[in-house]
Amino acid sequence: MRKVAIVGIGHTVFGNLSEFELVDIMSFASGNALEDAGILKDRKIIEQVFVANVGGGIINHQTGIASSLVSRIDLEPAMAELVENGPASGSSAVKAGFAAIASGMVDVVMVTGGELMRTVTGWKGTDFVAMLTHPEAEYNYGLTLPAFAGMFTRLYMKKYGLTERDLAMVAVKDHENGAKNPYSHVEIPCTLDAIHDGENANVVNPYIAEPIRLYGACPVSDGAATLILCASDSPKMKFFTKKEPVLITGMGAATDTHCVHNRKDPLELTAVRLSAEKALEMAGLSPEDISFAELHDAFVILELAISEEVGFFEKGKAKEAIKEGVTRIDGRLPINTSGGLKSKGHPLGATGVSQIFELVKQLRGEAEEGRQVKDPEHGMAVNFGGFGNNVVTTICSKE
Amino acid sequence: MVDFSVYELKEPEVYAYKCPDCGALYYPVPMICKKCSARRDPSGVIFSSWEQVPLGGKCKLLTWTRVYALPEGFDVKYLLFGIVEFENGLRASGRLLVDDPRIGMELDGKVGIVKEVVGEDIYGFMFDLPD
Repeated sequence: MRKVAIVGIGHTVFGNLSEFELVDIMSFASGNALEDAGILKDRKIIEQVFVANVGGGIINHQTGIASSLVSRIDLEPAMAELVENGPASGSSAVKAGFAAIASGMVDVVMVTGGELMRTVTGWKGTDFVAMLTHPEAEYNYGLTLPAFAGMFTRLYMKKYGLTERDLAMVAVKDHENGAKNPYSHVEIPCTLDAIHDGENANVVNPYIAEPIRLYGACPVSDGAATLILCASDSPKMKFFTKKEPVLITGMGAATDTHCVHNRKDPLELTAVRLSAEKALEMAGLSPEDISFAELHDAFVILELAISEEVGFFEKGKAKEAIKEGVTRIDGRLPINTSGGLKSKGHPLGATGVSQIFELVKQLRGEAEEGRQVKDPEHGMAVNFGGFGNNVVTTICSKE
Repeated sequence: MVDFSVYELKEPEVYAYKCPDCGALYYPVPMICKKCSARRDPSGVIFSSWEQVPLGGKCKLLTWTRVYALPEGFDVKYLLFGIVEFENGLRASGRLLVDDPRIGMELDGKVGIVKEVVGEDIYGFMFDLPD
């Protein structure tokens, strides 16, 4: 298998971009990546484009998005396809690009993920995301992703003694990082007093899906992110001299039951564990080798549960790591250095690409002041689709 | 000959499905049996469409939530949802009608209207206290 390097990265700000068109924001992130890679003028060396998006046809009334993007940024005649895998679409598109290069089919690939969700009401947006649940046994009832996260959190609290204050501490840590990230949707820090300890906390931080409160869930965001990949052994690497390449050293993915109720133990995130095991095995690493991680905290409970499932902490012990500051920027294992989905935002198709964008930024040493991890070697991104029914893990390393 | 039976009102039900080869029960219905790999044909033309077994009755609450941010089509302040386990071991998600639920409490799984859309009532599980 050929080695695959990330040679260019691009991002839009995440937030409310509803005044723009979906393909425009994707084009903007793609243009940023072409500039970062130093190939804006030589862009035709890109042979294949993978686009990650979920709602184009549903909420933006547009299909054929990959073809549209290629034409908008003058990349014809590059091959172009759409990858849809719910909230894990971004990493799945990167995985498709990785496989296309590793197999020897092509040398240079661009992966762009994007989503425009704030063009519709919150009511419609919630319905759109809930469409990935089982149509008959879940969706018809009004069950949503927050509902499943709420039921998961209640079980986790009962089994491991997690408190609402522990969850609030995760949100505070994520917002502290996100406030220093210029791409964040919610770029303001929050305090434990404001969202939990203070007398107005119930007003500032109401329940949305008990026991999950507003600050336990990510915002609904628009945004796009792009990666440019090249085979390490390709002569085309000569085009990419502007930045130090970062290697994709491990990728793995796994699925679990569509219906959450059909899992033997609803607290086991089997697809997370299996995808991480595969990625670690490909990279020849163990969880202890990972310097920092971007974990899919659409709900802050997932940051804790995923960090345990991939092997960073024992089951039920991630809350101790939060209390001890282990996962802060200056801790032993910084988690969600970008602010995570919680603070940076979660435009579905963009999220997985954005997580890997953050791995590259950290490994290059380009993160903004106050959120750069010290001398990182290996970063892990876990992109969580459905309520854990389709998960992709990526490991990036310094060359 | 007119078949008047089609006009008879039937109590709405939610069904589990039984594999005709090994008897394994499923909810919702799969297309291949996890245990014996028997295939199911919903039309019943090529393979069996599998026996429908009414699902409901006594069950235990495994977890629950009260959701305030509801999707389009649910015009209420909040709804409660739960996952239960029935006596036959099958589990299901559904609407919870108890306002102060506790994990482990005994419930009764009935079938009622869970969503109203134009021209159609959608039936599903309503979990309530036993009568």
